[in-house]
Amino acid sequence: MKHDDTTIFSSYERNPSLYDEIFDENGNVQKTYETLFDLYGKHSIEDYVNLNSKAKASFFNQGITFQVYNEKKTQEKIFPFDLFPRIIHPEEWDIIERGAIQRSKALNLFLWDIYHEKKIIRQGIIPMELISSSANYLHQMIDVDPPGGIYNHISGTDIIKHNDGAYYVLEDNIRCPSGVSYVISNRTALKRALFGVFNHYQAYSVTNYAENLLDLLESTKPKGVDIPNCVVITPGMYNSAFFEHSYLAKTMGVELVEGRDLFVEKDFVYMKTIHGPEKVDVIYRRIDDQFLDPLEFRADSTLGVPGLFAAYKKGNVTLANAPGTGVADDKAVYTYMPEIIKYYLDEEPILNNVLTYHCSRPDELNYVLENIDKLVIKPVDEAGGYGISIGNRLTKKEIEVVKIQVKENPRKYVAQPIMSLSVHPTYIEDSESFEQRHVDLRTFTILGKDKEFVLKGGLTRVALQKGNLIVNSSQGGGSKDTWVLKK
Amino acid sequence: MLARVANNLFWMGRYIERTEHIARFMNVNYFSSLDAPHELSHSRQFVLRSMMFMVGEHVNEDSEQLNEQNTLYKIGLDSEFPYSVINSIRNARENANSARDLISTELYESINKFYHFVVNYPVDKFVKNGLYDFTVNVTEMTAILRGKIRGTLLHDSVYAIIMMGINIERATQIIRIINTKYNDALLAQGSYGDKFSNSFEWTTLLKCTESYDMMRRFYKKTPTSISTLEFLILNPNCPRSIMNSLNQVHNHIRVLDPSKAYNKNSTAFLVGKVRAEFQYKYIEEIEEDIQSFIENILNNLTKISQKMEKEFFNY
Repeated sequence: MKHDDTTIFSSYERNPSLYDEIFDENGNVQKTYETLFDLYGKHSIEDYVNLNSKAKASFFNQGITFQVYNEKKTQEKIFPFDLFPRIIHPEEWDIIERGAIQRSKALNLFLWDIYHEKKIIRQGIIPMELISSSANYLHQMIDVDPPGGIYNHISGTDIIKHNDGAYYVLEDNIRCPSGVSYVISNRTALKRALFGVFNHYQAYSVTNYAENLLDLLESTKPKGVDIPNCVVITPGMYNSAFFEHSYLAKTMGVELVEGRDLFVEKDFVYMKTIHGPEKVDVIYRRIDDQFLDPLEFRADSTLGVPGLFAAYKKGNVTLANAPGTGVADDKAVYTYMPEIIKYYLDEEPILNNVLTYHCSRPDELNYVLENIDKLVIKPVDEAGGYGISIGNRLTKKEIEVVKIQVKENPRKYVAQPIMSLSVHPTYIEDSESFEQRHVDLRTFTILGKDKEFVLKGGLTRVALQKGNLIVNSSQGGGSKDTWVLKK
Repeated sequence: MLARVANNLFWMGRYIERTEHIARFMNVNYFSSLDAPHELSHSRQFVLRSMMFMVGEHVNEDSEQLNEQNTLYKIGLDSEFPYSVINSIRNARENANSARDLISTELYESINKFYHFVVNYPVDKFVKNGLYDFTVNVTEMTAILRGKIRGTLLHDSVYAIIMMGINIERATQIIRIINTKYNDALLAQGSYGDKFSNSFEWTTLLKCTESYDMMRRFYKKTPTSISTLEFLILNPNCPRSIMNSLNQVHNHIRVLDPSKAYNKNSTAFLVGKVRAEFQYKYIEEIEEDIQSFIENILNNLTKISQKMEKEFFNY
């Protein structure tokens, strides 16, 4: 297909060293994208600018926003959304789906083990320090049996497509992974703006997440409960993910509560309703471990519920995800994922791990210190893209600073080769044209005693700044609708 | 339903209703004054003062000259002024936000759209020539919200709480508007031989409450003080009347807890009592001392609101 001079793709610049998901190395459109490229190519720039602003308005009207505080007034912003969707082939999706489930199951068995017999450590497969030095390992969880044996009910797996065309897992998020509501609202926004494109592709619907989540929550009910009362707990309406919390509560048809709406009496949890206390059985919690219960964790937490952990330990209430899961999404544990999968499931990993150097091992530390310019240095216990240094972006002076940081606390850091995230054509408002931007994919997996579910879609996140590799929304990332095609 | 969330829904209802009354009051008063028959009611100062009175801001009788643009801005788009249209819709939305999981997507989106319309309305346009456009849009959008509340929510306790909020606020605003226009009619009497009982202000009052046409249909006569007050206070079939609001409050409170109607400490009992007293009032008796009547009804509405807080929202 040739580029037409008057359309929105006419000024698309292709950097041949990057892996472009829609153009091959000769600049031809990949077969899957041909129809889409044609359809979008019909729009004039003016047309597209208009569509884009309508899509933005749709997010404002749907109230899918977060607040930014200035000195004078609070401003409401939307998470940037790109109208050009990403397509994933059924064959590729099959690998992603099986791989995500495999990782969730292995992580779950790993969590059970390290909070009980610690076989994997005793057999020398992973070192004790990895666990004992982790800030997210909760001694309170030792020998606690979560209902159904499930710790990570909900997992978010961050996956990239490297320039070899294969998918790699960057990290597992098994604390309170967020973003699933954006998968659904991105779809809604795209349908409103460009409904015509859906006539040409058969993509899976993404609206069945909530029913599967509710199914899961109900299946984790405490013993002796017939019809469980499930709730979602949120830190409150000023939390940046509040939209998601209210969305999930609404679509599941359950109550959205804050810590102050709950209280614990004789190790049972109740919520304060207009007709008095009502018992709560299952809590999908969207507040972090440390804030759950001021009696057990951070004493200054006002978000949690005093006595909640004691009720949980007694088995009177279920928490999803279980407390203490953070230890397993530590980036240092990540590097052992191939071993963990092999050990518990006796399977080879379906999804690749990125080669990782542990700064805690002296020989690897030396390699890292000498090759910082070729590596990405990551703190092991941070989320949201904070604290990451990308070697080839640093000045000599900055490299020295990173070296000192790593040497001072080697356990805190791991290093990986700089992975080349694939790029996807993304509409850039400033230039009113499409440009290449790096993307990744977060999938959402639900794991129950007799349940495995991966949402067919996932959140494609885009790094909006040119050349930037960090896609997190807290770092100015946007997102795209993601189509998993039917076979 | 959570007690905290019920409180938010109650106030969401109140603020939605309040937004409408403020906007319509501005619209009707401003535009009916443009060709008003009398010197005083034609005067811009008179109208601006009337608007300020309605939103509870007392202006020094003669000394202070009100600036038109400043006054319109204050009541319409001033975030610093608690009783402004912009603050009412902001509060309605804030309350809806925290109950977002309980209300329908359709209702929430309409509130949100409404909020963005008001927040993004250019101030300059509004104070110069946007008053009509702005207030008409605001009143229409509140009608949409009422439609979404009635048409998309489950008619259960969530609905009952919102409707309680709407009707308590409606009665409150209607009585404030009556008070304001009654006051205007008193001030305007005598100019060009205008008599109190046939004042031009009664027509304005009816239009402020969107009840003019139906009042004409009901009485088949030009509005007088007695017929206007009777219609707006006592007629149970006039959807804006105090009686109608009380009847609705009475219906909805019984949904919330039917068994408590005979408990003398319950909200349901109090509402029933206030309503019963009202049913056997007649207009001549009210007109004898309208000021005490107004104080009394506002007092009762506050009491109902406080009782609800104690019974349902105490968390």
